[in-house]
Amino acid sequence: MSDLALLVEDLWVEYPARRGVVKAVRGVTFEVHRGETLALIGESGSGKTTLGLALVRLLPKAARIKRGRIMYYRNGTSQDILALNAEELRRFRWQECAMVFQGAQNALNPVLRIEAQFLDTARAHGLSDANAVRERAVELLKMVQLDPQRVLHSFPHELSGGMRQRVLIALGLLLQPQVIILDEPTTALDILTQRSIIEVLRRLRAQLDFSLIFISHDLSLAAELADRVATVYAGAIVEIGSVYDIFERPRHPYTLALTRSVPTVTGDMHPLASIPGSPPDLIAPPLGCAFHPRCPLATDQCKREEPPLERVGKEQMAACWHWREVNP
Amino acid sequence: MAVQTAPIAVSLPEEVRPNLWQRLTRNYVFRRVIKALATIFVVVTVTFFLIRLMPSNPVEIFIQEQISLYGMSYQEARDQASALFAIDLDAPLGQQYLEYLGNLLQGDLGQSYRSKGTQVVDIIRQFLPWTLFSVGTSLLISFVLGIGLGMLMAYRRETPIDYALSTFASLVSSVPNYLIAIILLVVLGPQLKIINIASMRGSISPGVQPGFTLHFFLDVLYHAAMPIFVYVLTTIGGWMLAMKSSTIATLEEDYVTVARARGLKDGRIMTSYVGRNASLPLFTQLAISIGFVFGGSVLIEGIFVYQGIGQQLIKAINQRDYPVMQGIFLIITVSVIVANLVADLLYSRLDPRIRLGQGETK
Repeated sequence: MSDLALLVEDLWVEYPARRGVVKAVRGVTFEVHRGETLALIGESGSGKTTLGLALVRLLPKAARIKRGRIMYYRNGTSQDILALNAEELRRFRWQECAMVFQGAQNALNPVLRIEAQFLDTARAHGLSDANAVRERAVELLKMVQLDPQRVLHSFPHELSGGMRQRVLIALGLLLQPQVIILDEPTTALDILTQRSIIEVLRRLRAQLDFSLIFISHDLSLAAELADRVATVYAGAIVEIGSVYDIFERPRHPYTLALTRSVPTVTGDMHPLASIPGSPPDLIAPPLGCAFHPRCPLATDQCKREEPPLERVGKEQMAACWHWREVNP
Repeated sequence: MAVQTAPIAVSLPEEVRPNLWQRLTRNYVFRRVIKALATIFVVVTVTFFLIRLMPSNPVEIFIQEQISLYGMSYQEARDQASALFAIDLDAPLGQQYLEYLGNLLQGDLGQSYRSKGTQVVDIIRQFLPWTLFSVGTSLLISFVLGIGLGMLMAYRRETPIDYALSTFASLVSSVPNYLIAIILLVVLGPQLKIINIASMRGSISPGVQPGFTLHFFLDVLYHAAMPIFVYVLTTIGGWMLAMKSSTIATLEEDYVTVARARGLKDGRIMTSYVGRNASLPLFTQLAISIGFVFGGSVLIEGIFVYQGIGQQLIKAINQRDYPVMQGIFLIITVSVIVANLVADLLYSRLDPRIRLGQGETK
């Protein structure tokens, strides 16, 4: 257990809405090891982003963490994230755990040059040696394949979307955090730019030592980058396992359906199948298993009882009453 | 079927270096200055004819004054007037206009009809600084305070502080400034006797020598206090409400959330991330409001008997002193246009997304 970086236990997050309470995260438990890449995949509206925001406690004011525990480990010490006070939380953010958001287009202050934004991030965490910070910034910008001198002296609007995303990734690495959360890092970018971002991430994974949690609806991205994959459905993890198990031997009908809904480049030709129905209503999720209205294997038991996440393989867990019938 | 393919002549555009004229016309500042000059010309023309459309004329007003003040007969007053006024009001308007324009081009604003031998330029030189001082100071105070309070309201949204300040802001910005001025004058003066309105009249106390002395400075502030207070009170509400809504919108921006995720200190986020971006649209409004405050100064200076350009304008209007009116309107126009120009150029410095004078053709 000594290589644990992050441990999330039974996390529940809710938002009050006009129609009722949105249960965006429902009893999520997972762990992230040092140097590991975990992908959280699922459809839009499944609560992935809320989960990511909860990890750095950046949820909107209205949201409430109803239950759960988030433990962070580094150098033999542990911190209970939900118990941090404002100043401890401020220090924790970015220095220990950096979150790079979806939609990098507007993530940088439009009136400050990139250099100023690197410097103020460092200064906020007690690094006052501007030259050292600048050197580190140059190094990181080179790693993400940007021209450091040009970028540092630019304003955000002078950079393209892909460049801004890379700047943010470099900025995320500035303080050498142990955990980086990437929320939809390639969404809203064209296919070639997506490709180069993936390459950049791969190279960074090889060169630097950090754990990566990335949130995406893009399965091919998960297949390429992740060590482990967790499938999120209706605010809960329905299956988690190594990237190999998840893609080759999924045990949850939803994971199976997801893998069937994207074309493969190498593997066998199977007919593409979209998942019937629409994502569940998080205000009033279906009784029993949340996936049962869309599931081909659903039985009466699925409509009544919610299946627990149970061990289905050596390092694989799934929440399905009929997991034995999926990929038998 | 044979298709005829004729070679299509493609003429590549030659790389032409823009000549001086093209560079000038593309230059933002140059274009703005030309526009400003055109505006001034139009305003000068319109005021020239408009004030001559006002009922009565300077001679008639003078005659009426003589009759009611000294009990002269109409004929006596008329003789007096023709001795005093060496002007021909019956000359064709077009001729008068061209004469006026010609003088204006030479920097000659003419002489006052009523105060013989007094140059309009001298009147402006004497009274304009007081108005510029009181209006400028109050605009600065109101802008800075308004931005601060507006941000406070946005940060403390839906709290008693926000409700109280919002009510205050809507209230003061909906009451006309002359009404507030009269109410303050009556309540603080004769009613509560908190201020001595008689000694606050004018722009300096008699006998005080202008110079870089504390005494002079305090005396100037003492006399300008009421006008400044009223200007601030009537303009601050607008700034507060504008800043509040702008701040609320900015707080929703991704870069503010990301700044929090970056662990920046709240103070830094508030100033460089929220405040700086939220105040940008207000700088455009600042330029526009300069014109309004100048207009408002006419009534306020009259009420507080503050010796500024606004009071001179009222006097000139009552006497139909055409050259003085023209001169003051001209100077107000120029001030507003210059302020607009400065604000625009300043804006491009504040917001890097706006690039000016870079030879961009749009």
